[in-house]
Amino acid sequence: MSDDNGSGIDVDEYDDVWVFIEEHAGEVMPVSWELLEEGRTLAEKLGDELVALVIGEDVDEIAEEALARGADRVLVADDPVFEPYRADPYGEQFRAMVEAYKPSIALIGGTHTGRDFAGRVAVPAHAGLTADVTEIDVDDDGLLQARRPAFGGDVLATILCEEHRPQMATIRPGVFEAAEPTDEADGEIVEADVVVEEADCISEVLEREVGDTADITEAERIVAVGHGVEGDLEPARELAEALDAELAASRAAVDEGWIDGARQVGQTGKTVRPDLYVAVGISGAIQHLEGMNKSGTVIAINNDPNAPIFEHADYGIVGDLFEVCPDLADRLEGDLQEVVQ
Amino acid sequence: MSWTIAVGVKQVPDDDEVGIDPDTGRLDRASAPAVMNPPDRDALEAALTIRDQVGGEVIAVTMGPPNAKTVLEQAVAMGCDDAVLVTDRAFAGSDTWPTSLTLARTAEALEADVVVCGEETTDSSTGQVPPGIAAHNGWAQLTYVEGVDARPEEDRLAARRDVEGGHELVAADLPVVVAVAYGEFDTRPAGLHRKIYAENDFEPTQWTAEDLEIKEEVGLDVSPTSVGGMETVDPVDRRGEVVDDIDDLAEVLTEVNA
Ligand SMILES: Cc1cc2nc3c(=O)[nH]c(=O)nc-3n(C[C@H](O)[C@H](O)[C@H](O)COP(=O)(O)OP(=O)(O)OC[C@H]3O[C@@H](n4cnc5c(N)ncnc54)[C@H](O)[C@@H]3O)c2cc1C
Repeated sequence: MSDDNGSGIDVDEYDDVWVFIEEHAGEVMPVSWELLEEGRTLAEKLGDELVALVIGEDVDEIAEEALARGADRVLVADDPVFEPYRADPYGEQFRAMVEAYKPSIALIGGTHTGRDFAGRVAVPAHAGLTADVTEIDVDDDGLLQARRPAFGGDVLATILCEEHRPQMATIRPGVFEAAEPTDEADGEIVEADVVVEEADCISEVLEREVGDTADITEAERIVAVGHGVEGDLEPARELAEALDAELAASRAAVDEGWIDGARQVGQTGKTVRPDLYVAVGISGAIQHLEGMNKSGTVIAINNDPNAPIFEHADYGIVGDLFEVCPDLADRLEGDLQEVVQ
Repeated sequence: MSWTIAVGVKQVPDDDEVGIDPDTGRLDRASAPAVMNPPDRDALEAALTIRDQVGGEVIAVTMGPPNAKTVLEQAVAMGCDDAVLVTDRAFAGSDTWPTSLTLARTAEALEADVVVCGEETTDSSTGQVPPGIAAHNGWAQLTYVEGVDARPEEDRLAARRDVEGGHELVAADLPVVVAVAYGEFDTRPAGLHRKIYAENDFEPTQWTAEDLEIKEEVGLDVSPTSVGGMETVDPVDRRGEVVDDIDDLAEVLTEVNA
């Protein structure tokens, strides 16, 4: 088939499913393994190869791990210019690799890093890039269907890219299961040409301070705090301890600096799917609901009877969280005691 | 030393005023009044902060229909020196690729040293336009920015960025595109005189696709993505039971937890 589709490219020249493995100082972001699992499904449907892309410095082990977790091939760009992450060298390297190897699909984690550089690949490649995708599939023609919530999660829009390649998407962390390592890795590792030089870089990381990143996406129980806690996390922490739950937060609480951004739930945070989600002093804005909608039982503690969160909760109590949380924690501890006795 | 700082603002439906359609029970955004995209208010404040640091001019830019002029008036009332309305039927159907091209060409035409944008818009929420502007022009970019530090003596802008699990300070060569993290910059109030001026005497410059020489490169035809369908998502069914008694809640929790 020739390229009579108007874009000037022959889409048939492009194949393989690419997954970007995001690493910082040797630490892989969990979403990368989630994408590898989902990429495997797509590659099998298409009869394509699953290719992992590793960009960084001293990343041999990560490349091996990507093979162990199911990649048929790992393309590695290993150079000091890639550590720590910067948009311009990553974007340029990824773009050059796209041009050289012509993938049909490229999946990137919807992290700050992924959302930072994906456009620097898609724009010069004139590729279609869909943001913040929560469902992916391929249709009968092998076209990627990237679905993303629109209008505050009220609708799910399917975005297609028919005439341009690659079909790129950033994908929200937490929505897919992670690929597990196996012993049957028999893929190959390919060193890609490094096309970036330090002298050409237009940005410089002066300082970087990163602690342990929490992973709330795996939690079975979550107590999430909102602006209502006014900086005092203690009541929620007590309740979380009584429930053996992880702490999470709305964006308002993160923006205030009360809690780490890795614990943010919502449209620009993580998607969580615990059995139990307790929203403490959270109003229930649509951007927040989007991240917690997959929870089992939702409980709301809020002193405003009109807070929208009550409509999106299974059970709610109208009351002051500073009283309700410790009280609940006490009762739960009491119950546990009874169980133990 | 003084910099030309362009700030992108967009008109969006007001999320707080989005009603519920009585027939379908779904959000009805079409009838909501138009407001400035809330994250762009942060962008405006960041732009004004940079101007405070180095001197220069802040020029608000919007790409949109003629009535999007009102967000530019608002931006001028809040302290922008000037504003450009980029408007043309040729833009209809543009996805993020041509949109960022249009804004990139506008920034070039203004000879901007810095382009400041909000993190994302509340109506399409891709966050792709700021990196797209930088990519079209081959400029540096700083996203998820929480603080700005102009360094005119180095011809660079440094910024504190939010990254997973922490923060970093990155310096970027000019020209640079900055996307500001939502909720990080408290917008200064609009002055009364400025407000009166913006509403009565101010007229933004208008540019078309032809003015920017991109008529063939915008609109539906060059947009690599298209919407293949929209499915309404059934709202998650929750019981919505409000209990008065804390004992009842403790019981529910124990059950779920068992
Ligand atoms: C582009 C964009 C992206 C966004 N992404 C996200 C996202 O990913 N996640 C997210 O959460 N938000 C996100 N938001 C922000 C979102 O719109 C809301 O502003 C935010 O979720 C509000 O957080 P909150 O509910 O904690 O605070 P508020 O809305 O201020 O609510 C606080 C609640 O606490 C209650 N309260 C106060 N005091 C007490 C008390 N003593 N006891 C009990 N209750 C009390 C109040 O009644 C109120 O309901 C985004 C916004 C934009 C524009």
